[in-house]
Amino acid sequence: MSVEAQQGIAAPRVPAGLSGLLPALILIGLFFVVPVLALLLRSVTDPAPGLQNYAALLGDGTYARVFFNTFLVAFVVTIVTVLVAFPVAWMLAIMPPALASILFGIIILSMWTNLLTRTYAWMVLLQRTGVINRALIGAGIIDQPLPLINNLTGVTIGMVYIMLPFMILPLVGTLRAIDPMTLRAAALCGASPLAAFRRILLPLSLPGIAAGGLMVFVMSLGYFVTPALLGGTSNMMLAEMIAQMIQSLLNWGLGSAAAFILLVVTMALYALQLRLVGARRAVGGA
Amino acid sequence: MLLDYDRLGWLKIALLGFTALVAAFLLLPVVFIVLLSFGSSRWLAFPPPGWTLKWYQELFADPSWIEAALTSARIATMTAILAVTIGLLASFALVRGQFRGREILRGLLLTPMVLPVVVFAIAIYAFFLRLGLGGTTIGFVVAHTVLALPFAIIPIATALEGFDKSIEDAAIVCGASPLQAKLRITLPSIRIGIFSAAIFSFLASWDEVVVAIFMASPTLQTLPVKIWGSLRSDLTPVIAAASSLLVALTLALMIVTALLRRKLQT
Amino acid sequence: MTQPFLSIRKLRKVFGAFTAVHDVTLDIPKGQFLTFLGPSGSGKSTTLYAIAGFQDPTSGNVLLQGKSLLSVPSHKRNIGMVFQRYTLFPHLSVAENVAFPLRVRRRPDAEVKRKVADMLSLVRLENFAERLPAALSGGQQQRVALARALAYDPPILLMDEPLSALDKKLREEIQAEIRRIHRETGVTILYVTHDQEEALHLSDRIALFRDGRIEQIGTGEDLYLRPATDFVAGFIGNSNFLAAEHLETVSGASTIRLADGSLVSGINANGSFERGQKTRLMIRPEAFRLERSPNNAELSVEIVDIAFYGERRRIVARTSAGQEIDIRPTSSMAATQDTSPGRRRVFFDPGGAFLFPA
Ligand SMILES: Nc1ncnc2c1ncn2[C@@H]1O[C@H](COP(=O)(O)OP(=O)(O)OP(=O)(O)O)[C@@H](O)[C@H]1O
Ligand SMILES: [Mg+2]
Repeated sequence: MSVEAQQGIAAPRVPAGLSGLLPALILIGLFFVVPVLALLLRSVTDPAPGLQNYAALLGDGTYARVFFNTFLVAFVVTIVTVLVAFPVAWMLAIMPPALASILFGIIILSMWTNLLTRTYAWMVLLQRTGVINRALIGAGIIDQPLPLINNLTGVTIGMVYIMLPFMILPLVGTLRAIDPMTLRAAALCGASPLAAFRRILLPLSLPGIAAGGLMVFVMSLGYFVTPALLGGTSNMMLAEMIAQMIQSLLNWGLGSAAAFILLVVTMALYALQLRLVGARRAVGGA
Repeated sequence: MLLDYDRLGWLKIALLGFTALVAAFLLLPVVFIVLLSFGSSRWLAFPPPGWTLKWYQELFADPSWIEAALTSARIATMTAILAVTIGLLASFALVRGQFRGREILRGLLLTPMVLPVVVFAIAIYAFFLRLGLGGTTIGFVVAHTVLALPFAIIPIATALEGFDKSIEDAAIVCGASPLQAKLRITLPSIRIGIFSAAIFSFLASWDEVVVAIFMASPTLQTLPVKIWGSLRSDLTPVIAAASSLLVALTLALMIVTALLRRKLQT
Repeated sequence: MTQPFLSIRKLRKVFGAFTAVHDVTLDIPKGQFLTFLGPSGSGKSTTLYAIAGFQDPTSGNVLLQGKSLLSVPSHKRNIGMVFQRYTLFPHLSVAENVAFPLRVRRRPDAEVKRKVADMLSLVRLENFAERLPAALSGGQQQRVALARALAYDPPILLMDEPLSALDKKLREEIQAEIRRIHRETGVTILYVTHDQEEALHLSDRIALFRDGRIEQIGTGEDLYLRPATDFVAGFIGNSNFLAAEHLETVSGASTIRLADGSLVSGINANGSFERGQKTRLMIRPEAFRLERSPNNAELSVEIVDIAFYGERRRIVARTSAGQEIDIRPTSSMAATQDTSPGRRRVFFDPGGAFLFPA
């Protein structure tokens, strides 16, 4: 209804309320665009004009490892998140409303709980002497504690935990928009449940999966808190490295260049997502 | 039949089982942290050897925790007010305006939500160092408002898109001035969106870690910065106590939201 | 000469390269119920919005009792309006909706209360005062909208297809209410619809719009019985158009030759025609008779199909030139007539038939 409704009947007398955008544009222009551009400038002027910062970043094996790590983690997190989120979203889309609202409550609670709180919980849960290792040992499954923290395992568990709601919620929307009649028709046509899943349900939900997956991937690429707390020093991720370059090493040139690379990659993927689903849906509804 | 809940057969049992596991996974850290905060072991042993309230006592005995919480509340409240006000004005223009480049502007205003926070954090940190705004309340509020703005615009713009402008026009023929019509008819009609915007932008600031880590000064620390600092030094159960209070706050917020929504919708 | 109550002077509205309203001129006396009728996109709403002040006309003027309204903003025009879409304020109760225009006018509480009660009883919704709009049916919502539009005694009430979202039965019910309210309040009403039955049933006068112009204006009877153009004839009521050749016209009565070669004279001529000019003869389906009367013309047809429609029956027949025509004799007569399929003659009064250029 939106296009119809927002036009109303009255033609706008002034080019409607462009002035209303002014505060937002000033805020974003002055305190977002300008600082980010200044950062970009710094990456090619600090300590001396030129591209040496980028050359250093792209030429060095240590940094290459960080880039590789970052993409690897983001990729693994995305795959795992999609695989876990799909069945849940599927059930959420069709289960009785009373049950669904309980599940939604749990998802919202997890999503709204302070990020550090959640990460702290995982730190305690996953540590060598933590609950999970003890439980596994107690059950006789392992006899040495598993290294669950300060490595990629820890980062992946923590990140999947954080990303799940961002994947589940939009997917529910996609799945709810599919007419159950289509699948009934498929069954009448003789499709087995597996065939109906592969040929009907999955293709129809693919746009939602792609959009959600891309969003999770983009968010994971630049994530800072969870990798910094659950990851190890030997497999640092990009955001953490940038923070360290600025905060501990005070190397503004290198840090800015790395930040700019992250910005370009993120924005390129964001643009791809926009093309995939359109601006309105890319960042999700309310 | 895959989308008919009652016709799934054994598949339903398998999927529901999996869903229950995921729900448990989502709930695990939240419940765990609350239990832990009442456990008596300083080394966070679980299940705890006994139950105690001493971590809460320690928490409340330390003025720096209280201070940090108050600072966060102050900054988040100002951020929410600013973001909702600016977002409201912007949403009207974005939804109702008919000018070229509208979609591009919308994209621009929503970008802070997509750009990795760490990039914005060092950019605004450097910028504020130059302006002398680093470590100030104003600096915090401005930076957080940038981050919160998308969270304010999205629900308000969505609500406004669903509101039939003819209703506002009807108020105008009835004799209300355009401003009166907006204030008395349109705003109350999209109040759910405005309310969501307020909650989301409050949370965006209240939970914000990365910018805060860079901007914080010894005299101005938000709650996440305080937790972050403690996490890096040791995993004291006091953090669990503080975290449990945050969980309680989240729950309270969820309940208020649900109640208000129900009330506003009828 | 007395000045008209509401006067529209050479109103023109251009959207980009497209002219939605072409120099419409119209006078409306006080208390009249005037309907804008016409196909979709013919400029009815645009004209109405210019009166309401939602859209500034490109040129022309709108005068109320001789004073131009153009420089008056919408909210000061004191005009009532009911919209096609439901426009009740969703967060206000029925009573508060009706009170709204009075509250923005800062009328004293006692007056507001009294007026709201009056209005709700006018639209027969006294028992719904405290309900929220979401708890009303579509018809009830439009009645509240009507009450709200009348609450401040506007001299003019504009209604833009207020019933188009309702089903037929409800529509008829509210049409009756609107007629009654017009009678009781004496308000001047400008009503937009593209439903010709609604227009005929409700209005004192109808302005038939076509492509941004008024094709004809007059009472329903004028438009029905004396259509000025074939567009009007085709739009109002049902019509059969038969190909015919004009032979001569003597003092407004034409003689023509139909495709089957038969001659008909005494036809109403709309305009002047050449000898031998190709024309179209318009005959209303209900103007046909199955039995001969004095001075009637006759047509030889083959009955193709007969359907029973309650009050009347509808006969589909084919002329000897192969054209299908629609015949609807009244039941009482039809029942006694032989209407079995087959070839037969039908009759019509040439004075009730009209000649238009082809
Ligand atoms: N804001 C606008 N911009 C461009 N063209 C417009 C605008 N408003 C109306 N038009 C055009 O003007 C013409 C007349 O529109 P109007 O709404 O007056 O028609 P209408 O007779 O009310 O039709 P309907 O019965 O469908 O409501 C239409 O062709 C429409 O497309
Ligand atoms: Mg219209």
